[in-house]
Amino acid sequence: MLRLSLLAIIIMVVWIEILPFFIPKKPKKNYSDEKLREIALSRGMHPIPKEYDKFLKLLDSKDNLITKEKVALGKKLYFDTLLSKDRTISCNSCHMLSQNPRDNKQFLEDIMHPKDKTDCMVCHIKDESGSDRLSTAIGVGGVTAHNHLNTPTILNSALAKYRMWDGSLRTSQAVIAPMIHGKYTMDLSTKELQKRLKNTPFYREEFKKVFVNGITFKNVVKALDVYQKTLLTRSSYDRFLDGNNSAMSEQAKRGFRDFIQLGCKGCHTGITVGGQTIQKFPTRNYNHIIDVTGIFSREHIGRETAAFDFNFKQYQRFPFENKGGFLGKNNQQLFRVPILRNVTKTSPYFHNGSVFDLREAVHIMGKYQLSMELSETQIDEIVAFLKSLDGEVVEYKELK
Amino acid sequence: MKILYVNLDILFMFISGILLMNYFSIEWSYFRVIEFLHVFGSIVVSILFVLPFLYKHIYESMIKMGHNSISGLLFGFIFILLLISGTYLFLIGNKGGDIYGIVSYNVHLYSSFFLLLFLMLHLKKFFFSRTFTILASTIILFLPSDAYSHSKLLTNIVFADGAKSHHSIDWTNSVTCKECHPKIFKQWADSNHRHLADSNPYYMVLENLAGMDRGKKFRQWCMGCHNPSAVSMNQERTTHFMDDNNMPEPLFTKGSQNLINEYKVHPYRLEQGVSCITCHRIVDARPMGNSSYALDLTKRKKYLYEDAYSDTKVWVSHKLINANPKVHKQGYMKPLYKKSEYCASCHNEFLPHSGRKVVSTYEQWKKSPYNNPDKPKEHKDCIDCHMTQLKNGKFSPLHGSSTLGGENKKDIKVHYFAGGNYFLAGLKNKENESQSIQLLKTSAKLDVKIDKGVLQVGVKNVGAGHKLPTGAADFRELWLDITVKDKNQKIIFSSGKLDKKGDIEKNSIIFNKVFGDKDGNPVGLFFWRYEKLLKDTRIPAGKRVVERFSLQKAVKYPLHVDVKLNFRIYPQWVTNIVKAAYPQLTDSPVITIAHLEKTFD
Repeated sequence: MLRLSLLAIIIMVVWIEILPFFIPKKPKKNYSDEKLREIALSRGMHPIPKEYDKFLKLLDSKDNLITKEKVALGKKLYFDTLLSKDRTISCNSCHMLSQNPRDNKQFLEDIMHPKDKTDCMVCHIKDESGSDRLSTAIGVGGVTAHNHLNTPTILNSALAKYRMWDGSLRTSQAVIAPMIHGKYTMDLSTKELQKRLKNTPFYREEFKKVFVNGITFKNVVKALDVYQKTLLTRSSYDRFLDGNNSAMSEQAKRGFRDFIQLGCKGCHTGITVGGQTIQKFPTRNYNHIIDVTGIFSREHIGRETAAFDFNFKQYQRFPFENKGGFLGKNNQQLFRVPILRNVTKTSPYFHNGSVFDLREAVHIMGKYQLSMELSETQIDEIVAFLKSLDGEVVEYKELK
Repeated sequence: MKILYVNLDILFMFISGILLMNYFSIEWSYFRVIEFLHVFGSIVVSILFVLPFLYKHIYESMIKMGHNSISGLLFGFIFILLLISGTYLFLIGNKGGDIYGIVSYNVHLYSSFFLLLFLMLHLKKFFFSRTFTILASTIILFLPSDAYSHSKLLTNIVFADGAKSHHSIDWTNSVTCKECHPKIFKQWADSNHRHLADSNPYYMVLENLAGMDRGKKFRQWCMGCHNPSAVSMNQERTTHFMDDNNMPEPLFTKGSQNLINEYKVHPYRLEQGVSCITCHRIVDARPMGNSSYALDLTKRKKYLYEDAYSDTKVWVSHKLINANPKVHKQGYMKPLYKKSEYCASCHNEFLPHSGRKVVSTYEQWKKSPYNNPDKPKEHKDCIDCHMTQLKNGKFSPLHGSSTLGGENKKDIKVHYFAGGNYFLAGLKNKENESQSIQLLKTSAKLDVKIDKGVLQVGVKNVGAGHKLPTGAADFRELWLDITVKDKNQKIIFSSGKLDKKGDIEKNSIIFNKVFGDKDGNPVGLFFWRYEKLLKDTRIPAGKRVVERFSLQKAVKYPLHVDVKLNFRIYPQWVTNIVKAAYPQLTDSPVITIAHLEKTFD
């Protein structure tokens, strides 16, 4: 009996392995550049506009018009540590940007005179990532974020449909107040903030210029919101979508094709390449004794072989350490799909920042969301595509 | 029918084993699969079919029916021999170090022919009638079917010939080498080759500085030697480990524990720095410098599952290597590795934009008396000093085996990579530090005399096959620390002391070189701006330099002269800058290479 059952297992394994050879192979479609662009645009993957009027059309709202002065005021507030209880952190502490990204001397200045810069910032301030490079954010008094949540990038977030890891907030304006009041972030009361601003002559004057009713908490939020909206990045991917075929490398284009064909774009979609939906993670958790994952061909549609692995680990919710125990919306492992623009600069990855390597993150996404063991070449191509999403903040002349 | 199956099983084991012989030298991609099939097929087949059958057969024919067949007995005896030797080869392997392994290997190989002979004799009446069926089935079994060529393709996706791109899987993590080469791993784990990139604070700051000063792409110049794996993966910069919100302390972690932990959790992550595979897969090297070596990562012969991440598969791969490690040895050890030209591919360094030489350690060696191929006794290559163990200040080659259970060697080339940088290695491991300091102390000798009120201090480079100091000699400090006391113990002359900030006081005698930019100003950290050589006081191999100091005229003899030749790997001002990004960094200690005290009447 034992012999027979062992034999049966062997036959089953062999069957699973050789099955793909019997299925007729259909070659994968190889899109031309034009076709690739057409498909992307038809699925809502639009470029970030470089024209100011298109930008206004996308983001301007009647109750908080974007004006040059308001943006300047918002920027001033963004980099001001006055917004935190102990005056140690600003918005910029976690959503790291440099005030003058085009200024090349900044690093030399920082390293020779490391006054109030933290050690990480010395090297990373030039990244322009709009995020800290830490697993979890550090708020006033050095407290780490509740639930060990990782800081998502602020870049392009104004265009997302959902905010926060559980997608609980819907508008870019709604995010600001909780950040200022939050115990784990800046921990500053409305009253204290107004008092501080009123005591600063610069803000007294500026607010008077920009807003009719001067310094109010609502106006602070409005100014910050407008500045946040200007933090859009354009990359080679956008230039490709605009019609420049040579903007993206061949490898990145293949990665883009994989991104569409393998199903990544199902969730990471829209102008922001993510941030538009709430999804379950992971869809498969591989907690069985034997894991079988498909390895998919690059040339043909369908599975090539199956990867077997024995799994003697304990039950785990995530394919990485469950730091902080955060379980997403309604504790159902529902998460806002992260924005993939500038993803190469925003490591570590996932909601608790447990994964430090982009290639590993891509591998995890393939295996646990799409049930496929991506080959190293596929990962390479996808990473090349993700690199093409790296951009620089658009500087609209009208706001200069 | 049953007999036929058992015969087929035995034939399967025999043929799959014979194909592994050197005589056939079959293509590697087949070899690795057949090796696996031979080992595990034999286990499955023996346990499930052959052994139960033999037991039943012997019981029935010899005990119940009282037959007595000599060929059967001989067959049984050889089968047991094969079983024992096979088990030994599988569980312990033929690593070269123990005689049992070698005996097992030969017994296993040659007695299999006898086994087949006795099987034929035993089966005389069955044999000829069945021959055809058996042969036909084996031919079918071993036809290179689609399945094989496909498994080749699977691996070939990653290890494509003339690979255009590499993957982290090509860069076999050094942690995987640890299992069988624990001693060598331990030596390397705290050495400077391991800590050339992500875990070296000085390097990280300088690479960032270079990228900032000359543009993103310039980082590749640094990375060519410091971080080849990242270069091959088209990575733009060196990245460092993180442990949650903190940078783990690569500075103080002994035995590369962080690398081991990281590998356990994130096996896909690329290992940075100079790993085992970097040096041991170099197939060609030119002494030009600036990473002038040829790497062949994809075309190496890998045993089945050598790259696997799962514990079971790794265990299997170790068994497969140990049973027949010849190919493994050939793949990772080449005669080239003993030559100085090999090291020169990185230990020669010039600016890509101007061709100016920044580091020319190999060229210094070439001109030195140590480069003497005609007289093998006087000729010394890089590894003769930098990879030979030191004990009590003397070279004493390490005896033993470099591999667990491997053959005994008289001179294991140790992987401490002892050299100038005692500091960063010493933060992790005192043994590595001591090897470097011992080596440094063999390099120079002092002599002193006073002639007509002039103190003459001679420094001779007696041990180094290159200038003293070499390497990035603009960031090295080798200087004379002199104290002269008169009869009343009053200090009448002093030079080369450290001031409060930790810098060497002005007007001291420092042996180094100083680069200047095009306007003739010292370049500081920006050594890639080098245009003019402002100063070069390094001591060439075998040469002696004399420094003269005039003493005050009216001094009370006897004079007590105390001269130290001090060395510090990084000047204090460089450490101060690096500390801005790495606050946990400590200051580099000062090492005394040579010390001389003398009294003059």
